[in-house]
Amino acid sequence: MATNRWLATGNFFSTYKEEQRIFLTNIDRLTIWSLIAALYAWPLIFQMSNKNMLVIDSILVAVVAVIGLNMVTGFAGLISIGHAAFVGVGAYTAALLAASWGESHAILTHAWPLVILFSGLVGAVIGGFVGLPAMRLKHLYLAIATLSFQMIFTWTINFMTLFNQGQTMPLPRVFWLTGKVVRKDHYFFWYFVILTVIVMSGFAVRNLMRTRYGRCLIAVRDNDRAADAMGMHPGFTKVYAFALAGFFAGMAGAMHAYLFRGAGIESFSLHQSISYLAMAIVGGLGTLSGSFFGPAAIQFLDLQVENLSAWAGTILGSSMNLATALRPLTFGLVIVLFLIFEPRGIANWWRITRSYFKLWPFRY
Amino acid sequence: MSYFFQLVVSGMVVGSIYALSALGFVLIYKSSRVLNIAHGQIIAAGAFITYALTVMVGIPLYIAFLLSMIITFFLAMAVERIFLRKLIGEPIISVIMVTIGLMSILDGLIYLTPFGTLNLSFPPFFPTTPISLGGVSISWTQLVGVLVTAVFIGGLSWFFKKSTLGISMRAVSDDQLAAMSVGISVPKVFGLAWALAGMSAAAAGGIIGNITGLNFDTLHAFGILVFPVVILGGLDSIIGAVVAGIIMGLIQQFAAGYLDGNWGLNGTADVLPYIVLLILLLFKPHGLFGTHEIERV
Repeated sequence: MATNRWLATGNFFSTYKEEQRIFLTNIDRLTIWSLIAALYAWPLIFQMSNKNMLVIDSILVAVVAVIGLNMVTGFAGLISIGHAAFVGVGAYTAALLAASWGESHAILTHAWPLVILFSGLVGAVIGGFVGLPAMRLKHLYLAIATLSFQMIFTWTINFMTLFNQGQTMPLPRVFWLTGKVVRKDHYFFWYFVILTVIVMSGFAVRNLMRTRYGRCLIAVRDNDRAADAMGMHPGFTKVYAFALAGFFAGMAGAMHAYLFRGAGIESFSLHQSISYLAMAIVGGLGTLSGSFFGPAAIQFLDLQVENLSAWAGTILGSSMNLATALRPLTFGLVIVLFLIFEPRGIANWWRITRSYFKLWPFRY
Repeated sequence: MSYFFQLVVSGMVVGSIYALSALGFVLIYKSSRVLNIAHGQIIAAGAFITYALTVMVGIPLYIAFLLSMIITFFLAMAVERIFLRKLIGEPIISVIMVTIGLMSILDGLIYLTPFGTLNLSFPPFFPTTPISLGGVSISWTQLVGVLVTAVFIGGLSWFFKKSTLGISMRAVSDDQLAAMSVGISVPKVFGLAWALAGMSAAAAGGIIGNITGLNFDTLHAFGILVFPVVILGGLDSIIGAVVAGIIMGLIQQFAAGYLDGNWGLNGTADVLPYIVLLILLLFKPHGLFGTHEIERV
């Protein structure tokens, strides 16, 4: 049938294959590719200061981590209160390599993509191992089991001299085709690396959700007994969801460690785990686009609150430590308000806006 | 040997406070199926209110203790009304996240008060010379703490067994629809469960404040350690909370007493409860006394 390849005027799917296309129309394809091109191009045009670039980079790292969290909590419906620990596993894998081979070993400085990938794989193995209780545990019991992993991880890092007892473990600067990435270009360079990882994992996740390995995650989330009856293996699927989450988290951790040139325990605490959960929820659980909006929104909010409390501190004096008070206060309020008024997160606003423009000038 | 008994006694003391704190979780979970992550903050709030009333206002400790229980009673009820009432019927993760958000909000509110950063301790209220029995010593504060815990647990057991309100709460936890059909107001029961949990949290807070001193970070860490206790006992079992509380208290004291300092270990008291919890959950996925849910497609 001769359908309009540019504009969707209705739903004319006659096969499942057609329905599962990533891009429904050429306009979709054009927007996504031009968006990605714009994301790559803008730092070349606008010169950002290192400070601003660092903020953007840390948002991007959080995006990779939240994609992982969305796999396990959003798509597979298993609450994980230990995601920062998985990110930490990745970061400490890279840091341990640096510690055992020496900081300027060629693999760390030249073959850093392999290090990132390897950290992701270690994260996946640890994730799968931590996910083993998910075979038997459900809901809240599982949530607290992941919390236990977070606590054990924090203790292990703080206790073992191998991990420098939680003090920062250094990582080297990396080399690129043009030579060593110097301080001036460090954050600029990593922006492109992390962006590439995000684009790749975005497409990977999108494609995964079209295959049966992705769809079985959703089936298990919606009703694991029914999924069992349909011939899936819920226990295996849950472990595999944890492994996937661990993979993305491990990559995010390795990139975090490279970006900040070290791994320290304070970035992988329970508090950070809760932040990741908040990002996933504010963005929209179980959506890919939510993984991009959530981290950006939460980090932006964090910055604004910091500015606000600094400003309030100049007026009220430093007698009250407003910064420590305002951050959790606004953070908590945002989570609660989102859950009460927009449980489907920012991704839902994005969906509404998109359908508005798609249907314009008609209402529906 | 007396070292061993000393550890047993202090483990029981710590454990009974865990039990009292875990009781609040169980009350809320039993009636409304909400895991209240913010319970630690309510405990802290109770402790700070008691301190403010005794030291700053100058009310005798036992009256301040009662007053703070009354205040947190209404505080917890308000929390339920404002935040949780809107979420009845929402998926479990939303409810957990709301209580996590609540934890952050209460954190922020406590940091706004001077208590957030101070290190305070109650003025000595009971005789400071500990009682010793055959080499095992226990301070008066600890003894009173254990007694208050026992009274609290006994009172709640009576409340659930005999009083009409308690029976209606059990009915709601059993089957909400059936409870509604015999004329029990389910939202009112939820509110009451939260209020009672708040009250027990204030009691726990007051006792901890008297034993270990007031520091928000310590109270915070304490609040997190109550999770393994509740999960170990089974989320919906009061007996489980008591047993698991005492088990955890003993584990912690034994870890601190025997493991720390040997083989280069330290701080094991913070991590051993979680390890024990994980291992036990592999064999008993619903905790020691939790009900097994029968699930149908």
